[in-house]
Amino acid sequence: MSERLKIALTKGRLQDKSVELFEEMGLDCSPVRSPGRRLIHPLPNYPLDAVLAKAPDVITYVQHGVCDLGVVGKDTILEKGGSFYEVLDLGFGRCRFALAVPKGSDFYGTYKTRRIASKYPEVTRAFFEKKGMDVDIVKIEGSVELAPILGLSDGIVDIVETGATLKENGLEPIEDVAQVSARLIVNTASMKLHKQQILEFISRCQQVLDSRRREG
Amino acid sequence: MNLHITTPEGTQDRLFSECLERRQVQNALVALFRRRGFSEVITPEVEYYDLFVQSGNPLPQESMLKIIDRSGKIMVMRPDCTAPIARVAATKLKGLALPQRLYYDETVFRSGNAHDGGSSEIAQCGVELIGASGKKADVEMVALAVDALRACGLEEFHIEVGHADFFRTLASRLDLSPEEMERMRSFIEGKNYAALNDMLENCRENPACEALARLPYLFGGVEVLREAEALAGPCRSLDYLAQLYGELDSAGYGQFVRFDLGLVHQIDYYTGVVFRGYAQGAGRPVLSGGRYDKLVEQFGRRAEATGFAVYVDEVSGCLSVTAPRLELVIHYGQGMLAQALEVLDAQAPGTCELSPCRTLSSTMNLAQEKGAARVLVLEKTGERWLEV
Repeated sequence: MSERLKIALTKGRLQDKSVELFEEMGLDCSPVRSPGRRLIHPLPNYPLDAVLAKAPDVITYVQHGVCDLGVVGKDTILEKGGSFYEVLDLGFGRCRFALAVPKGSDFYGTYKTRRIASKYPEVTRAFFEKKGMDVDIVKIEGSVELAPILGLSDGIVDIVETGATLKENGLEPIEDVAQVSARLIVNTASMKLHKQQILEFISRCQQVLDSRRREG
Repeated sequence: MNLHITTPEGTQDRLFSECLERRQVQNALVALFRRRGFSEVITPEVEYYDLFVQSGNPLPQESMLKIIDRSGKIMVMRPDCTAPIARVAATKLKGLALPQRLYYDETVFRSGNAHDGGSSEIAQCGVELIGASGKKADVEMVALAVDALRACGLEEFHIEVGHADFFRTLASRLDLSPEEMERMRSFIEGKNYAALNDMLENCRENPACEALARLPYLFGGVEVLREAEALAGPCRSLDYLAQLYGELDSAGYGQFVRFDLGLVHQIDYYTGVVFRGYAQGAGRPVLSGGRYDKLVEQFGRRAEATGFAVYVDEVSGCLSVTAPRLELVIHYGQGMLAQALEVLDAQAPGTCELSPCRTLSSTMNLAQEKGAARVLVLEKTGERWLEV
C-alpha cells in the first residue's frame, strides 16, 4: 500500500524552506541537504523520493504525473497555469507581484498604449485584461528593472520582496498585482490513487504550519 | 526552401506496437459497446465553429484548431465528439424513437500549448445514451464505464462519481454573485484548500460554508456520502448517489466505484451525475463523462442524455503490448505462390513474410538482416527448412 511517492522541489530558496518544513514534520532530509551528483533523493524515514527542479519544471512533472507532489511558487503557477490540485499555502517564499514605474511618472495619465516589461507575460496580460486596458508586453529574461531605465518600457510587472532594488533604480511600486507564496501541488490522478498517503502528508504539513502560525 | 519533414507539434507518427496498443483498446471498447446495443456514428472531422459555441461546452476558443472555408466561415477540427452527436440526435435522428444508444471511435483535435508534451490529436472512444433520464440510465452508464476499462485490460482502476447539483445546492445557500460562484467552483475543482478557506472566512456561521470548505476533501469510498450528509444535511443529490451506489454494488460493481463530490468541472454543461476514471499508471484521467440534459435541446429537440469518453491513449499507455517478431521467411519457386500463401496465412500475424528475392542466397541475406530465425524454401520438388 505505502508505495513511494515522488515530490518535486523548486531549487534554491524554496528548496531550503521546504527542507526546513519537512524536517519539522520529522522527515529525514539529509539526502536533499547533501545531494551530490544524484538526481533522485529517497528520504530514509518516509516513503518519499525528492527531486530538485526549476520552478516551471516542477509544474510540468506534477502535471504529467511523473511526480505526485510538488512545491512551487504561486508566481510560477499564475504564469504557467496547468491542471493539478493546489492544496496548501506553505506560507514561506512570501512576496508580491507589483506594477512598478519610474518614480514620479504618471503611468495611467495618458491615452498612449503603455509598454510593460516582465518575466511574467501571462500574469501581466491577465492583470491588464481585467482592467480592460491594452498594453504592449515585452518579455525580459534577466533584470527587468533595466527595461524602463533604458527606455524600453513604461513600467514593469515583477516580484517585489523589499522594494530595495526598485528604489535603487529609481522605480516605485504603484499597484499590487498578486500575493505570492510557496504552494504544495498534487497531481490529480495521484490524489485519487494514493489518497491515504497524500492526505496524511498534507495534514502533517498543515500541523506544522498551524503550530508555526500559533508561534507567530 | 526549408521543407519540414517532421510532424507538426502535438502530433506523432504511431508505429507498430503503439498501433497495436491503440487498436487493442479500440477493438475491446467497440466490441463491448456493440454488445450492449450501441450503434456507431461517424461525424465529420471538420465542423462549423458555431456548433461548439452553441453547445454551451466551455472549451476555450484558443484550444480549437480553426480553418476558414472558401465562403469565409470559421470551421474547426472537431474538438469534442458529444456536440456533433447531439446535433445528429436532434436533426437526423429526429424521427427515431428514444432512447438512442450511440457510440463513436474518433480522434478529436485540440491546439495545445507549445512544448507541454500534450497531444493535439486525442483518440476518444465513447458512448452517448440519448433520450433517457433517471437512475437506470445513470447506473447503466457507470456500469458500462467500469466494464469498458475492464475490457481494455486494466486491473487497478476506479470510476469516481460526483453530482453537479450538490455544489449548486450548497452554493445557492450562500448569497454569491456569478463571479464569486465561479471563483469558488474553480477553487474546489483545483482542491485549492487555502484559497477556498480564505474565501469562506467571513461566512463561517452558515452551515453551507462548512460543507463547501470540506468539499475538496469529500472524495473516496461510499463513506464520503455520509460525511457529506452530516455536513450539508439531507440533500437530494446525495440520496441519489447513495441509491446509485446501492444498485451498482448489488450488481457487483461496488469495488470499482468511488465518489468525488468536488468533481465540479464544466458545471454549466453537466446537469447531474458526473464521473471520471482513474487507473494505476496514468497521470491523467482515463475516462470522463456525465449527464448533460440540456445539450441536445440546444440543437432543437428536447432529450436528456448521458455519456462518456475513454481516452484511448491514456489507457493504452497503461498496457504493454509487444509487437510480434519476424521468425520465418518463405522463399518460394515458380508456381508455388498458392502453397506459400497457405503457409503464410497459417502463421501468427507479423511473424512470417514472403521473400521477394529471386535467388535463395538473397533471401538468406534478407532473413538475416531482418532477424528471422528460419527460411522455408518451397519448390516444386519439395520443401526445405533452413536455419539462418
